[in-house]
Amino acid sequence: MAILSVENLHFSYTTGQDILKGITLQFDRRPTAIIGQNGAGKTTFAKLLKGLLKPLHGDVYVKGVNTKETTAAQLARQIGLVFQNPHDQIFKSKVIDEVMFGPLNLKQEKETARANAIEALHMVGMENKLDKNPYDLGLSEQKLICIASVLAMQPEIVIFDEPTIAQDYPARERIKEIIQHLRQKGKLVLTITHDMDFAAAVFERTIVFAQGRVLLDGTTREVFAERELLKHAHVEPPHVTQLGQKLGCRETFLTAEEWIRYKRRKS
Amino acid sequence: MKTVKSMSLYVPGNSIIHRLEPITKLIYVMVAGVLPFILPANPTAVLCLAVTLAMLTISKTLTKVIPLTGFTLLVLLSILFIQGLFHEHNQTFLFRFGPFVFFKEGLSYAARISLRVINLLLGISLLSLTTKPSDLIDSLVRRGLSPKIGYVLSSVLQIIPQMAASVNAITDAQRARGLETEGPLIVRAKAFLPLIGPVIMSSLIQARERAMALEVRGFNANRRKTFLRAANQSSRQTTIRILLILILFAAIVWRIFA
Repeated sequence: MAILSVENLHFSYTTGQDILKGITLQFDRRPTAIIGQNGAGKTTFAKLLKGLLKPLHGDVYVKGVNTKETTAAQLARQIGLVFQNPHDQIFKSKVIDEVMFGPLNLKQEKETARANAIEALHMVGMENKLDKNPYDLGLSEQKLICIASVLAMQPEIVIFDEPTIAQDYPARERIKEIIQHLRQKGKLVLTITHDMDFAAAVFERTIVFAQGRVLLDGTTREVFAERELLKHAHVEPPHVTQLGQKLGCRETFLTAEEWIRYKRRKS
Repeated sequence: MKTVKSMSLYVPGNSIIHRLEPITKLIYVMVAGVLPFILPANPTAVLCLAVTLAMLTISKTLTKVIPLTGFTLLVLLSILFIQGLFHEHNQTFLFRFGPFVFFKEGLSYAARISLRVINLLLGISLLSLTTKPSDLIDSLVRRGLSPKIGYVLSSVLQIIPQMAASVNAITDAQRARGLETEGPLIVRAKAFLPLIGPVIMSSLIQARERAMALEVRGFNANRRKTFLRAANQSSRQTTIRILLILILFAAIVWRIFA
């Protein structure tokens, strides 16, 4: 059974202007990237998965539970959402307290919550900043705190909304490692992103949204091979993929390493 | 993509009323609102009301007035009822409605108040429904209002919906971390701190960034500011404005000497 399923999902903020138009998707445990131009409905889709918004028509099932029949707070045990902007969430004066906030909301014992928070901070590489004030840290570190505060709740599904925005190279690499780690633990990771290099390097499955509909859904390699359809969705393939396509290679490259291996093989 | 709701009551249109210069409309509202207090109330108020209703009809905003004035009309109805029954000078019997006996003096007094209030209310509605707040502020700045005060006025209209959107985003972020924000009062009270903290911090951050963005675009420059749009000036509008002010002046003179 799919861990997360969406059936004929429709949603609009104002009558007559549908943001999502009949989306049907099943999610297994493969890390999945959701891409598409601005306004394609990606963030709205993530909020619907998390139960923050309720479908106008259709249903979203999180581990068999219909999101219409529960609250977003109750769903926090199963599904976590890391928001784009850390300023929307941080309010405690210590990093450890901020990360413990979620587990305590889930009624975990204080010791358990602290242990989970420390484990999550370790995962994001901030275990040595427990007593720092989050507002004294940079945006990149604040983002990592937000990731840790969701991981500390130990949900089975984790959604990242634009995790690489305003992140430097080490932070991007750290986020890649976090996603790989979550994958190894058998969790489903979904990511909304405009960073195609990141999507190509990390995710097995990619879904392309265009005008509130699913335009493409397949393995990341299959999706980035569809040049014309991607153009229709105003999505540019990763740089290395474009390089290969422009040089007339039949293969679709997703990373620089693949390109180098190909060149070595050829020479 | 969710859009930020506007605080303005403006109904887009291209009628002659929409095209009138905001200051002309503002002067009309002021004159029409004040005249029934200076001249004999009922005929003046009825005349002003008729003109305002005609302008609302021309601008196709008449139906939008009902939700704006609904509550006030309810209050005025209760004034009519109470004054008709209990006004201190009630003497002349007018009609009976079930157990209630209505008198002429009370109803006439209540009608005078109601007409003045409705007249004022419809005038303000006309201005709000047919004028963009930014155009009104622009016109006031052209006539000497400090650009800083003009900015404060217009930014209030922009910032409140933005803050509402920001509160929604913050609420979502905390609900995503298991915070219940719906339900009994105690549950909502517990959610207050986790919500208000980020709201204050993000407002301060936004205010600082907005201030810097304004500064780098020369907000505090000492030079005379120019305007993005050309002024909607015409001799006909100037005539209307002069005429309105003359009417008001004549009414004041009449009131003093008649």
